[in-house]
Amino acid sequence: MRHYETTYILRPNLGEEKFTEIIERTNAIVEGDNGSVIDIDRWGIKKLAYEIKKETQGYYICMNYAAPGSTIQEMERIFRIDDNVLRYLTIKLNKGKEIDQTGVEQEKERIAAIAAAIAAEAEELAQQDEDVEGKSEETDKTAASEESDSSEQEQVEQVKQDDSAE
Amino acid sequence: MAPRKKVFYRRKVCRFCADKEVVIDYKDVKVLKGFVTERGKIIPKRIYGTCAAHQRQVTEAIKRARHLALMPYTGSIQY
Repeated sequence: MRHYETTYILRPNLGEEKFTEIIERTNAIVEGDNGSVIDIDRWGIKKLAYEIKKETQGYYICMNYAAPGSTIQEMERIFRIDDNVLRYLTIKLNKGKEIDQTGVEQEKERIAAIAAAIAAEAEELAQQDEDVEGKSEETDKTAASEESDSSEQEQVEQVKQDDSAE
Repeated sequence: MAPRKKVFYRRKVCRFCADKEVVIDYKDVKVLKGFVTERGKIIPKRIYGTCAAHQRQVTEAIKRARHLALMPYTGSIQY
């Protein structure tokens, strides 16, 4: 088995269920060939740098897996048939070295560690945001009152304009 | 004979050799964006001084990113 990474783009207007269906079908191909899926990363809908099949947006999915080479052929054959797949790209990871079950486990752990680090960072940021929000609330209130003042002024002006029109 | 003018060049250092933490990856458009022109062309290594091995990796990554419509083949990146 080798270690691969495939990124593919789906049409954006299919709906969440159809996305999941296609992802599960792709996973089934890998697992049907004694491969193992290590990680699925849904990037979600992103803007494309250029139009593909008249679409300006695409739903990106990045899967990281270990599988024998014949799986790639089968998977790409199905991608070519399926009209909902806009693009796909498969690359060999780890310089194309063979990967075994222990390697898969290690890779899973590594990705989990990265994900945990990102989550922790996001949490920290969110906490910082909360602190800032607590402070800025007062300023928000003053801004809101100013806004209402200005809208009143506008109304007055409109009335004046109406008068002049008459 | 007039003494030859000495021209001083700033020695260019490969960015990826200097900073080992930056990994060249086709998914990381933020890094790759620095190695293309406004029009999306790949900048030659004589400009930035990227070493040959890393320039090859950058080129490969940009081409992959283009295939996946993460970067344009031509035209600016609109973000």
